[in-house]
Amino acid sequence: MSLRRLWAVARKEFLHVRRDARSLGMGIAMPVLLLCLFGWALTLDVDRVPLVVWDQCGSQSSRDLAAELAGSRYFALRGRAGSYAEIERAIDRREALGALVIPPDFDRRLWTGRGAPVQLIVDGSDANTATIASGYAQAAVRGYSQGVVLREIRRAGLRPPAPPLDPRARVWFNEDLTGRNYIIPGLIAVIMMVIAALLTALTVAREWERGTMEQLVSTPLKGPELVLGKLLPYFAIGMFDVLLAVLMGAFLFGVPMRGSLALLFAMAAVFLAGALSLGMLFSIVTRSQLLASQMAMVLTFLPAFLLSGLMYAIPNMPAGIRAVTYLVPARYFVHLLRGIYLKGVGLEVLAPEAALLAAFSAAMIALAMRKFRKKLT
Amino acid sequence: MPEARPPGASPAVSARELSKRFGDFVAVDRVSFEVAPGEIFGFLGPNGAGKSTTIRMLCGILSPSGGAGTVAGCDVGREPEKIKARIGYMSQKFSLYEDLTVEENIDFYSGIYRIPRGRKRQRKEWAIRMAGLAEHRRTRTAVLSGGWKQRLALGCAVLHEPPVVFLDEPTSGVDPLSRRRFWDLIYEMAGSGTAVFVTTHYLDEAEHCDRLGLIYRGELIALGGPAELKTRLMREQVVEVLCDRPAEALEAVAAVPGVREVALYGAGLHALVGDAEAAAPALGARLAAAGFRPGRIERIAPSLEDVFVSLIEERDRAGGAVPEVER
Amino acid sequence: MFERVWRMMVKEFLQVLRNPRMVGVIFVAPMIQLVVFGYAATTDVRRVTTAVRDLDNTPESRELVERFVRSGYFLVAERAGDDARVRWLLDRGQAQLALCLDEGFGADLRGGRTARLQLIVDGTDSNTAAVVLGYAGRITGDYSGQVLAEGLARAAGAWQPPGGVELRARSWFNENLESRNFYVPGVVATITMLVTLILTSMAVVREREIGTMEQLMVTPISAAEFIAGKTLPFALIGVGDAVLIVLVGTLWFGVPLRGSLVLLFGSLLVFLTVALGVGLFISTLCQTQQQAMMSTFFFFFPAILLSGFMFPIANMPEPVQWLTYLDPLRYFLVIIRGVFLKGAGLAVLWPQIAALGVMGAAVFTLAAGRIRKTLA
Repeated sequence: MSLRRLWAVARKEFLHVRRDARSLGMGIAMPVLLLCLFGWALTLDVDRVPLVVWDQCGSQSSRDLAAELAGSRYFALRGRAGSYAEIERAIDRREALGALVIPPDFDRRLWTGRGAPVQLIVDGSDANTATIASGYAQAAVRGYSQGVVLREIRRAGLRPPAPPLDPRARVWFNEDLTGRNYIIPGLIAVIMMVIAALLTALTVAREWERGTMEQLVSTPLKGPELVLGKLLPYFAIGMFDVLLAVLMGAFLFGVPMRGSLALLFAMAAVFLAGALSLGMLFSIVTRSQLLASQMAMVLTFLPAFLLSGLMYAIPNMPAGIRAVTYLVPARYFVHLLRGIYLKGVGLEVLAPEAALLAAFSAAMIALAMRKFRKKLT
Repeated sequence: MPEARPPGASPAVSARELSKRFGDFVAVDRVSFEVAPGEIFGFLGPNGAGKSTTIRMLCGILSPSGGAGTVAGCDVGREPEKIKARIGYMSQKFSLYEDLTVEENIDFYSGIYRIPRGRKRQRKEWAIRMAGLAEHRRTRTAVLSGGWKQRLALGCAVLHEPPVVFLDEPTSGVDPLSRRRFWDLIYEMAGSGTAVFVTTHYLDEAEHCDRLGLIYRGELIALGGPAELKTRLMREQVVEVLCDRPAEALEAVAAVPGVREVALYGAGLHALVGDAEAAAPALGARLAAAGFRPGRIERIAPSLEDVFVSLIEERDRAGGAVPEVER
Repeated sequence: MFERVWRMMVKEFLQVLRNPRMVGVIFVAPMIQLVVFGYAATTDVRRVTTAVRDLDNTPESRELVERFVRSGYFLVAERAGDDARVRWLLDRGQAQLALCLDEGFGADLRGGRTARLQLIVDGTDSNTAAVVLGYAGRITGDYSGQVLAEGLARAAGAWQPPGGVELRARSWFNENLESRNFYVPGVVATITMLVTLILTSMAVVREREIGTMEQLMVTPISAAEFIAGKTLPFALIGVGDAVLIVLVGTLWFGVPLRGSLVLLFGSLLVFLTVALGVGLFISTLCQTQQQAMMSTFFFFFPAILLSGFMFPIANMPEPVQWLTYLDPLRYFLVIIRGVFLKGAGLAVLWPQIAALGVMGAAVFTLAAGRIRKTLA
C-alpha cells in the first residue's frame, strides 16, 4: 500500500468536494438544517392541545373540572361549544383537537355518590397526540376527582385517610422528558447516513461515467488505495459534522452529555467508516451514479431514519419489522449514542453494540476494497 | 530518457492471437503483431472495429478472452498490474478532472506514479511547457480548448517516462494545427526510444506511423508500413478522373468494363481498375460520349484510404454483409 | 400541436419504462414507504419491558403487579433481586420501566397507611415515557382509588363520599387510535410528490446532459409543448402510484376511506401541478441528473419534515409554523387525511385546495418562464 498514492487520491477528492457547492451543501448545510429542525421545530411531545368545552351542567363543580383541565400545561382552552355540531365544526376546522363534554347530570351524580362520567372527544387522526392527550386528561380528571373526595371528607369532619398508594415516579436519563434529548443524539447517525448515501455513493460511479476511472485503472494505483483515498475527505466532513452536532447539542439545545466524549467520537468514527464504505460499495458495484444513490437512499438512509429507533421506538414495532431492525447498523449506533449522552454509560455497558458496529465497519471496508476491480467489465 | 534499443531487442509490445468476446459478439478476433521500442505503431480502423478493445487488453484493464500478449516484458493476462507501472495510457475521453486546475491534475498523476521528489518539479515543468500551458497553470481544465486538454492529458500520462505509451484516438475532435503539434510530440517520444501505440480513424494521421495495423470487425486485415501497404496489398490500380459534374459522372464511370469500384474523391473521382493503361482511354471515351467534359485521367499512387477501402470491400464481398454493432 | 405533445409523451414513457432504475423509483419506493409507515412507524406503546423488584411479596404487592400485567401494556421482563440489578437493566435498555416495591408495602396498605412504590421510567424516549407514565399512573390510580373507597366504606359507615369522576375518552375518526390510519394516507401524498418530483426533474436534465436538448431547441417545438410533453407522462405515473397506494392502503391495511374519491383525485391533480412545477424548476437549476437528484432531496426532505406528516405542525414554534405555509405537502396532507378519515367534503377543504391551486399556478409559471428562456 503506497501512502503517497493514497494521499494523491485523497487530495484530489478533497478538491472536488470543496469545489462542488451542492456536495458541500449536502455535507454541511443539511446536517445543520436537520439539527436546527429537530432541535427547535420538530417534536412529538404534546403540549397545549387545543380544547373546547361543552359544559351542559354549568355548576361550580363542572366549571372547576373544566378549569382543572384547561389550566394544565398540556391543554389550551379555545372556547366553549354548545352542541356536538359545534364541536364537530371546531375539530373539522382544526381549531380544536379535542372536546370535554360534561353532561347535565354531572353535579347530581357527583354529590350522590354515583360515578359521574364525563366525555373526552379527541381527533383520532393524529393517533399519537390523541393517545398522549387522553392520558393527560385522565390524570387531570383523577386529580380533580381525588381532590373533591378529600375535601368532602374533611368537611364531614372525618380524618382524611392517607392516599393508599403514593407512586413516586422518577424519570431516569431524561428527567424533563424533553423530546429533543431523545432525538438529537440519534440524529448524528442519520447525518452520517446522509453523507454516505448522497456523497460517497456517487464518487466512484461518477469517475466511471466520466471516463476518468478508465485512466485510473491503467495506472499502478491499487484498489484499496483508491477506496481509502476517496473515503478520507468524506470521513473528515463526517467527523466535522459530529463535532458540529455535539457543539450545537450542548450550547444551542442544552442536550446533556453525561458520558465520555472520547468514546462518542471513537464510536462515531467507527460507524462513519462503515457507513461511508457501504455507500461507496454501492458506487463500486453499480458503476452508475443514479443507481448507486437510489440504492443508498433506500438501503442506508431510510432505515437509519425510520428503523433505527430514532423516530419510532423499536419495541413498539411489530415482530417482523423488529427482526429487520437487527440488520440496520444505525440501530446499534443510535443505542450507543443515547447511552453515552443520556445514560452516561461507557463500554462496560455498551460493549456488545460497540463490537457489532466495529465488525460491521470492518466488513464494509474490506468488502469495498475487495469488490473494486481494476478492470473495465 | 530511455535509450533507443539496438535492433533485434525484444519487442516493446507483442500480441499473439489476442481475442475478446462479449457474449456472442467477437470484438477482437485473434490479432497478432509486434511493436519495437522507438516505433510508432498505428492501429487503424473504423468505429467499432475493435481498436479500443485491443488497447484496453494490452493495458491490462480488460481481460482477454483468448490469446496472449506482452507489454514491456510483462504478460498481459497474468501480470496486468506490473504492466500498469510501465505504460502511459491516454484514454479516448482524455480523462482529466474538469474541476481541477492544470497544476492539480499534474500533481495528482505525479502522486499516482510516485514520481520521486527530486524529479517531481522537473517533470511538472516539462509537462506544462510541452502543453504550452505556462500561462494557465491555475486554470480549470474544463475551460481549456481541445488541443490544450489533449497535450495536458498526454503530459499526465507520461510523467513517469514509461517505455511504452498507448494513445486511444488522441486527436479526435481536435483542430488540425493542434493535431500537427501533437504528432510532433509523438515523434519526439519515439525518437527517444519510447514505443508508441496509437489508434486512429484518421487516415492522414496513419501516414505518420512507422507501421500500421488495419483492423476491421475485430480482424487484423493488414500489417506493415504505409508505403508497403500501398504497393504490396492493392491488386487494383487507382486512376484519377477529373471532369465536370463528377457526382453525375459516377454512374457512367462505374459502367465502364474493367472498373471495379469508383468513388468521389475531392473534386474528382477515383476509379479502381485492373489495368490502368487500358482503362484510361476507355474512361475518357465513355465520359465524352455521355456528354461530360473529361479532364485529366491518369494513374496515381493509391492513398491509404484507397488501400483500406479496397481491403474492406474485399472482406465484405467474401464474408457477406454483417450489420455494424455499436459498442 | 397535439401530435407533437403526444410524441414527446410517448418518448418519455418509453424512456422511463425501459430504464430499470426509474421503474425502481416508481414501484419500489411506494412499497417500502407503505411497509415502513404502515407497520413500523407507530407511536402506539405496547410491550413495555418491565422489571419488577418486589421485596414485599404480599398479596397486595402481587395484586399490583398483576394489574400491570393484565392491562396488556406491560411485559414483565425480569424479576430483579435488588436495585443494582434494576440499574443494570435500565442502563442497557433491557427494561423501560422498573416497578420497585419495598418490604412493608402490603402491611401499609392493610393498615390504612400510605404505601410507597417507585416507578422508574427510562426517559430516553420521551414520547414513550410520557405514555408509559400515563398508563402506569392510571393503574396505580385505579388501585389506589379502589383501596380508598373500600377503606372509606368501612370507616365512614353511612356517609357517602362523592362519586369519582370518570373520564370516558372517545376518539373520532380513528376509533382504535391506530397509527397507521394517520400515516398511510400521508404516504399517498409523500410518494406522489416524490415520484413526480424526481421523474420530472431528471427527465429534463437528462436531455440537457446527453445533449438532446440542443437538438430539441432547433425543432419547431414550443415551450408549452415541451413542458406538456415532459410533465403529463409523470403526472399520469403519479396518479398511477396514488391509485396503487390507495388500493393497498384500504384493502390491505384497512384504512377507512370515508370521503369522496372524486374529491381525492381531483385535489391530487391540483397537488400534482405544484409537484410538477417544482420538479421543472429544479431541472432548470441543474446540469446533471446527479445534481437533480441531490437538489430534489434537499427540497423534499425538509418539506416532508415540516409538512405535518410525522410531526404535528401545532407543536412547532410560531415562526416555523408560518414557514410551513409554503409547503405544498402541508395542504395536501390535510386534504388527504380529511378525505380518508373524516369524510370531509369540499365545503371544509376548499381553502387547502385553493392554496394548492395558487401555488401550482405560481410555481409552474415560474418554471415555464425559465424553460422558455432556454428554448428560445
